[in-house]
Amino acid sequence: MRKYLLKRVFYMILTLFLVATITFFLMKLMPGTPYSNQQKMTAQQIQIMNEQYGLNKPMWMQYLIYLGGMLHGDLGVSFQFSNQPVSYLIASRIGASAQLGIQAMIFGVVLGIVIGSIAAVNKNTWIDTLCTILSIIGKSVPNFVLAVLLQFYIALKLGWFPIADWGGFSYTVLPTIALGVGPLAETARFIRTGMVDVLNSDYIELAKAKGMSRYGIVWHHALRNSLIPLVTLIGPYTVALMTGSMVIENIFSIPGIGEQFVKSILTNDYPTIMGVTMLFSAGLVAVILLTDIIYGIIDPRIRLSGSGD
Amino acid sequence: MKINKFAKLGAVAMLSAVFLAACGSKDSSSKQVLNWDETAELPTMDLSKATDRVSFDALNNTNEGLYRLGKDSKIEPGIATKTTVANDGLKYTFNLRKDAKWSNGDKVTAKDFVYSWQRTVKPSTGSQYAYLFSGIQNADDITAGKKSASTLGVKAEGNYKLVVTLDKRVPYFKLLMGFPSFYPQSQKAVDKYGSKYGTASKYMVYNGPFELTKWTGSNLSWTLKKNNDYWDKKNVKLSAINYKVNKSNSTGYNLYQSGKLDMTYLNSEQAKQLADSKELVIRHGASTFYLEYNQTKKEFQNKKIRQALSLVINRKQFTGKVLGDGSTVAKGLVASDMAKHNGKDFADDAYVKDATANDVTKAKKLWSEGLKELGVKELSFALLSDDTDKAKDSTEFLQSQIEENLAGAKVSVSNVPFKTRLDRSVKGNFDVVVTAWSADFADPISFLDLLTSDNSYNNGKWKNAEYDKLIESSKSTNAGNTTKRWNDLVQAHKVLMEDQGISPLYQQANATMLKSKVKGVIYNAAGVNYNFKDAYIK
Amino acid sequence: MEEKLKLGPENFEALPKAEELDNEKIAAPSLTFVQDAWRRLKMNKGALISFIIIVLMIIISFGSTPFINHDSLVKSAPKYANLPAKIPGVPINGLNGKLKVSGEWVDEYKQNNVPDNKYFVLGTDYLGHSLAERIIYGTKISLIVALVATFFDLTLGVAYGIVSGWRGGRVDNVMQRIIEIISSIPSLVIVVLMLIVLKPGMTSIIAAIAISSWTTMARMIRAETLQLKSQEYVLAARTLGESPWKIAWKHLVPNLSSIIIIQTMYTIPTAIFFEAFLSFIGIGISAPQTSLGVLLNDGQKNFQFLPYQMWYPAIVLCVLMIAFNLLGDGLRDAFDPKTRR
Repeated sequence: MRKYLLKRVFYMILTLFLVATITFFLMKLMPGTPYSNQQKMTAQQIQIMNEQYGLNKPMWMQYLIYLGGMLHGDLGVSFQFSNQPVSYLIASRIGASAQLGIQAMIFGVVLGIVIGSIAAVNKNTWIDTLCTILSIIGKSVPNFVLAVLLQFYIALKLGWFPIADWGGFSYTVLPTIALGVGPLAETARFIRTGMVDVLNSDYIELAKAKGMSRYGIVWHHALRNSLIPLVTLIGPYTVALMTGSMVIENIFSIPGIGEQFVKSILTNDYPTIMGVTMLFSAGLVAVILLTDIIYGIIDPRIRLSGSGD
Repeated sequence: MKINKFAKLGAVAMLSAVFLAACGSKDSSSKQVLNWDETAELPTMDLSKATDRVSFDALNNTNEGLYRLGKDSKIEPGIATKTTVANDGLKYTFNLRKDAKWSNGDKVTAKDFVYSWQRTVKPSTGSQYAYLFSGIQNADDITAGKKSASTLGVKAEGNYKLVVTLDKRVPYFKLLMGFPSFYPQSQKAVDKYGSKYGTASKYMVYNGPFELTKWTGSNLSWTLKKNNDYWDKKNVKLSAINYKVNKSNSTGYNLYQSGKLDMTYLNSEQAKQLADSKELVIRHGASTFYLEYNQTKKEFQNKKIRQALSLVINRKQFTGKVLGDGSTVAKGLVASDMAKHNGKDFADDAYVKDATANDVTKAKKLWSEGLKELGVKELSFALLSDDTDKAKDSTEFLQSQIEENLAGAKVSVSNVPFKTRLDRSVKGNFDVVVTAWSADFADPISFLDLLTSDNSYNNGKWKNAEYDKLIESSKSTNAGNTTKRWNDLVQAHKVLMEDQGISPLYQQANATMLKSKVKGVIYNAAGVNYNFKDAYIK
Repeated sequence: MEEKLKLGPENFEALPKAEELDNEKIAAPSLTFVQDAWRRLKMNKGALISFIIIVLMIIISFGSTPFINHDSLVKSAPKYANLPAKIPGVPINGLNGKLKVSGEWVDEYKQNNVPDNKYFVLGTDYLGHSLAERIIYGTKISLIVALVATFFDLTLGVAYGIVSGWRGGRVDNVMQRIIEIISSIPSLVIVVLMLIVLKPGMTSIIAAIAISSWTTMARMIRAETLQLKSQEYVLAARTLGESPWKIAWKHLVPNLSSIIIIQTMYTIPTAIFFEAFLSFIGIGISAPQTSLGVLLNDGQKNFQFLPYQMWYPAIVLCVLMIAFNLLGDGLRDAFDPKTRR
């Protein structure tokens, strides 16, 4: 187990290194300079500034300098926020994004499992139909549309929650719902399909024959087995939440990282693009590793060593 | 762990801000609190490095230079009490007030100006606005790295006298003194905070009507608090201005409706729908949007083609129905209501009616003649622009106007990010591009300089000897004579318009909603927008 | 689902001698896999209706090409801008040219001096385009985006996942690292970079989808394949010396079909949303073309004043999604050998 983990961590670092390399060179292909007043600067001024920031050095040298800095935890200094270290920018903004992401994930997955199980157990009844319709609608509405609706009706018209801004828990409710409904709908559908399959299988028949209670069956057999495919979805959910956060943070004026990322791309803020890309990548790679480990724990049929060598 | 702490701190700060604001609106003794919408973060408070509107707004209200620009860019007293200009216009002597203080208790002296200017011009600072100093003795050589910063033509004679020497006349020099790039900086503060200088409200000293607080360097809200050390504090009525960044206009308007904001920016559609509202305030900007043609290409060297493309656009419908945010039909390249001479606006004085008229019949005629001259039946070209909502609406409208009316015209639009658009413009990688230019100071030259043959911003490469000559003469022979200089510029603009070197489209405006209880907010189109010194709540 | 067969003597006839010997043969009518699936699909009402809706949407949106194309989209009429829906003979507020302006119903058509015989069934947008036309065109674009994503999912994603899971070991490791790298670079970066090489619009969106959309499918398929690999029947097939290709096609794909179909049904909305997301942050399809994402995004900006501009495209998108989802469920039930009785 330890050997396997070490191996995976090594691969993780390798992946991150490759991501850093690819992003670095792709980013350098982006047109324009990182200077926000580029339009009014002459070519000569831009050249002097490039010398200032070491942007006139050969690309491989910039790359080595960047990698060297990264090893020391130095992600460089942002261009759009002058003199602001990227590590500080990320640190001061990740809290909101992480909180929102985790809340949305918990909200979506837990409620999704409940709704999905209810639907599966009551298969082909009106409860099932209702759950299915709800989850389909949840899946069909883009989160930015939902966010606008929630903000307008729940916050402005009814005044139940704050319209925007970031403060106490009440500020997180609407963005969490807007962000979490996608995973919720997805989870519910996955759990339902998985559980219907499992409930049809022989060992459930056996458990029934043994006189096990309905909820006992669901809890002990069905849920555990239908959770397996769900685990692989955590990776895509993380991506969806990262992408979603860019939009949701914009609508609810939340000081998060997703929105910052869009802006850094549009302003050619190279160090910030790199920093956030690396952060997203590291998060995703970690989630994938975690997924594999959990997968092994839940489903004893797949031994971790089996996928290693 | 650390992250958690930051998040908590931020949450506490914001909660207290909300709490304070809420108290403010109830408590009658401290109701002079303004809640202001902003569309982007505050990137820096280091005035040598500031480049954007948000920074300049904050700097202008928390700091002060020789002058403060009042209503209509009128020069009002700041740190300077008396100004003497030498007869040749090449030497300015400013007497400074003795009661101006930094927020750390130090006095504001002439040395702070010298230090600040030298710091901005020095290439190692990396200021993107150093070019504004061009004209001050040795400034160009210093920015180019040829001379040391100490040779800059600005000297302190004692603590309260500042002498500035120019290489050439700068007719708009006094206006520049009201722009934050020319404000003083405390060397003590810069040295003390080092690389942190200007990256958070606590790493900065202030000498203006307000002090910046609650800004962590990357958050979405900050507060301007009345500065009790300000020399003119008895005339400052607001006790605080709470800024809140809302990048979505819908969110901003929702907050405005619920009373959480006293001002909010509107998008085009909101502005159209709220056109009858009493609280709608249109803020005209000193920026003009125009079509720039790539005149290294044969088809756009043809004047008739350019004229046809300009005449076919119904600019009234464009600004009224498509943009709808108060933007006005451009009378020319130079923005209206920006520069006046003898009571006449430059844009009116230099107006060429045909250049921005809408005459489809004539356009069709010129177009077919143009095509004949080129020997082609069809002309396809790409219309390059930014990818903002407004830019997309604009290109879609232009595309439809051109394709519907001009036979054989095929327009493909490409909406790309701002940086990409600039890059393609500079490299000449375009056919027709929608360009915008905004003035940093209220003088026509800030626009007209763009189109001289050797100017590096002249991306369309339009060349006209007469135009070059007139601009040159306004800077040399006639630089000292206001009327002659004016006439040179007017003439140059007419030359440009008659040749349709570019096609002006509209002068940009921002539609905002402002609660009627807010009074005395000063807004200027060019340079810094907002000045809250005289603002109050009724 | 229970079917009662009434069998009489006339249903039986003597077998020819040659076949009589083959006692092992299964007596049900010989249906191919697809025929069987189709039969089951037809029994599922929801799925059948969804199928019809999708086919109708495809026919309408693609069939409209001669009428709604570049030339008609490029025409604008700003004088008819932002009119609400007006359907002849429908006196319901909201569908009769009236719009709620600060609490009161106002006849926008009259206010803007629109001729009486002018009707816009779903209203107009900010340039006076008919919203109905734009929704039809937008549906077409969204369907194309969905088809492209599905294509890459089914080809690249499924093949990649099976190979990776089946081969295991070093091959699996390398292939998984590649997926990790691809999915670790935010798709937004990929799209922005596409914009440099290609023009903004359909091509770059498709390219971005091609690069990033299939990885989830590949990962799910790999995980399932890992599970199936250790199943007895696969082991049996292997022991009997069946070729890997045949095992993949005969055993894995049918058993994976439920995952494949569900995942495809997940890909379609994801792809359509991805396109919508791009237009939200300002890098979408370029004018005069439009997509449901663009329309939704335009609509949400004016929701406070012109709610219909968001509702109509949202409704169309929802119907499309619901149809895809119900059809997906139906297909899963139809294809999945495990639910077959």
